[in-house]
Amino acid sequence: MSNTIDLSGDRGSQDLREGIYGVVFFVCAAISVLTTIGIILALVLPTLTFLGEVPIREFLLGTQFSPAIQPTVFGVLPLVFGTLLITVGAAAVALPVGLLTATYLSEYASHRRRAVLKPLLEILAGVPTVVYGYFALVYVTPLLDAIPGLELGTFNALSASLVMGIMIIPMVSSISEDSMSAVPESIRNAAYGLGATKYRVSTSVVIPSAVSGIASSYILALSRAIGETMIVVVAAGQSARFPDSISGLLNSFFQSTQTMTSAIVQLGTSDLAGGTTAYRALFAIGLTLFVMTFVLNVVSDVITMRYQEDYE
Amino acid sequence: MATPTSSETTFESVSRTKGAVFEYLTLGASLFGLVALGVLLLYVFWDAFGLATAEIAWYGALVICVVAPTLGFVAYARRNTVAGEVALELVSTAMGGLLAGFGVIAVIEVIAGPAVWFAYFLTVVAPLVGLFLYNRARPEVTWVGLAMLGVLIAGPIIGTLTLDTLTQIESLIGGPFVYLLSLVLPAAVIARYVIDDYLELGNGNFAAGLVVAVAFFAVPLIDTLPLVSRSVWLIFLSTLVTPLGIVAWKNLAAPENRVGFAGPGIFIGGVGLLLIVTDALGLSGPTPWFDWQYLTSNPSRFADQAGLYSAIIGSVFIIVLVALITLALGVGAAIFLEEYAPDSGPGAAIARLIRINISNLAGVPSVVYGILGLAVFANLVGLGFGTVITAALTLSLLILPIVIISAREAIRAVPDSIRNASYGMGATKWQTTRNIVLPRAIPGILTGTILALGRAIGETAPLIMIGVATTKFSPPSGLFSKTTAMPMQIFAWSSYPSAEFQHGVVAAGVVTLLVVLLTMNSIAILLRNKFETEEL
Repeated sequence: MSNTIDLSGDRGSQDLREGIYGVVFFVCAAISVLTTIGIILALVLPTLTFLGEVPIREFLLGTQFSPAIQPTVFGVLPLVFGTLLITVGAAAVALPVGLLTATYLSEYASHRRRAVLKPLLEILAGVPTVVYGYFALVYVTPLLDAIPGLELGTFNALSASLVMGIMIIPMVSSISEDSMSAVPESIRNAAYGLGATKYRVSTSVVIPSAVSGIASSYILALSRAIGETMIVVVAAGQSARFPDSISGLLNSFFQSTQTMTSAIVQLGTSDLAGGTTAYRALFAIGLTLFVMTFVLNVVSDVITMRYQEDYE
Repeated sequence: MATPTSSETTFESVSRTKGAVFEYLTLGASLFGLVALGVLLLYVFWDAFGLATAEIAWYGALVICVVAPTLGFVAYARRNTVAGEVALELVSTAMGGLLAGFGVIAVIEVIAGPAVWFAYFLTVVAPLVGLFLYNRARPEVTWVGLAMLGVLIAGPIIGTLTLDTLTQIESLIGGPFVYLLSLVLPAAVIARYVIDDYLELGNGNFAAGLVVAVAFFAVPLIDTLPLVSRSVWLIFLSTLVTPLGIVAWKNLAAPENRVGFAGPGIFIGGVGLLLIVTDALGLSGPTPWFDWQYLTSNPSRFADQAGLYSAIIGSVFIIVLVALITLALGVGAAIFLEEYAPDSGPGAAIARLIRINISNLAGVPSVVYGILGLAVFANLVGLGFGTVITAALTLSLLILPIVIISAREAIRAVPDSIRNASYGMGATKWQTTRNIVLPRAIPGILTGTILALGRAIGETAPLIMIGVATTKFSPPSGLFSKTTAMPMQIFAWSSYPSAEFQHGVVAAGVVTLLVVLLTMNSIAILLRNKFETEEL
């Protein structure tokens, strides 16, 4: 504000002081950029060394992951498979439930009910993930195991992914609801005027109009599930598997499995010395994870920005 | 072939059932997650409080004495919302005060010791408070912020250099006197401001005097109690009794609010009645894992001796540091992005880059932050594996994006009209930010920060990566000492195969963590509600 009249004394030192404040606040904001650079360097540098020891083909396309027992093999595919397995299970719970929840909140709920339900749903995402992991291991697995015909291991992908699904419901529902609430009333009224029922308006008008928001909420939730660590570490076990048949694929749900995140934790906590290939594998897996979640987040952003319906 | 009649039939066939089924489907979906979590929470509370051992008659007494009256009040509060709000405010203040008191005990009494605390109080906290009060009296002064910055940088250095001399003071005046000067007096001053300027109840000086007087006159009473020392009493006077007194006073002053006291009263009276009744009838109650012994014992391989003490102290220490770091950096970054960032030119591009970068950082998995902490803080900078400072810095970076995003929203909610009014009167950018924007944005900033701290307190994966110990038998003693944390301890215990651990000790740990989180979140929500009603 250079054109304001200064009433408070010496102009020169005033400008200097204002300048210092600006610099201090800029430094605070710049720390976030340093964080990003730090993350990228911390992941990329050890990964480059790692790829000097293990060919990139072997890492990205290998179907065996066995970092501890000689001869060591570092194929990331079993971990990617485990991650996708858990993510698919969580998505099977969270995507439909989250969308229906968003529909209820935006179309059916009274003002008062929405005011109660929305903060309650946020609690689902606020419970610490280690607590969810404990729930899955100690309560959900025995509960599912009691179902006749279901043979579950102590550690299994099923209960971990179900519990993770519950955790990410609010991610889907809150963003989806925002975009459904943003659909203007006039469009709904037009459909009502054509004789549509509330059900038809919700499913054929509101949801299609809000599809970009719903899609971006889905992708964000998947990204969250891929990066989730403690639930799988506590409840899903540590056996890296890559199925060789369709039945093996289905069976994987009932057995112990290992995701990228739980492999990172396993490598980070084992007594591996700092300089070994197995230790550096941790960073390579971390980079793979980072790239996957980053791409999903960017795709979600792009969908929101590009395909958002603009109602004037 | 489509004919008008056929489209008419479609219209006719519209069924109510389909719509009703869909509506209930959406309602069911909304409740699904909540019910599932509710059931799991019931399980864990059942285990943590050892409710399986209580006899049926005890449950009868529980329902009659506590549950039914409390539910009655809740039902009443649904109609009389003022009563509910007042009750919630009282309970949250009490819980928050307790939590803050235990936090202060952990940081000052256990970790730092009153002598060291007083040294840093004199070199850092006291000058900051003095500058703040001076600025309140003379808002036009522009160098106060810079002076505060100077104190923040120079204060810890001077404190560390003169630590040996300054810690002598404590041995001269004694621990309780340290708390009187460093906690009770500030609490009395804050009470005066809150009552005079904020609540406008008058009598602020009287309230401040009352706080100090209570500190002195309660001493003979305290000395006769076995569990409470003078220091602990003074700490809780500052964090619990004074705020609770202000909230109670405020609500007593408004006659329509007084009914709100019935809620906590009914609950506390009910619990007292329950204890008397069960004792008189000789009913055997539950055998809780979650008890005083659990909170004050270090971990043990014997389930009945195991406790969460070292983990609680570790978590409190880490979270206090994270709160200080993220508040300073988060608010600074938000001020830059909202107030200082230029609207055009290369500066605007940089600001845009920072904004995009922050929203992307919010989506990075927490375990990746753990790798960052491992590579940068533990290895590169050499702050050590599993130390308090490494953990605090790593968790700070993790929640910083969330804090910045919520602080930006709070700052943006301040209307431009009052900013422009300030500029129009000749105020500089900093004067406007400091005197106009920040006071109005602080409730929103605090809400967002507390919610983010709730996230930090439950985070486990980054702590594992930076080598935080799963089990440690003593609390940390300084910034560079190795520590553990509540979620780490829960993680460690959950892999113990014995049922006593899985259904007892871990359940109690989960309950501890959830109680802390619930208290933090309800304080945040209370702040937000206050903030929103004031804006309207």
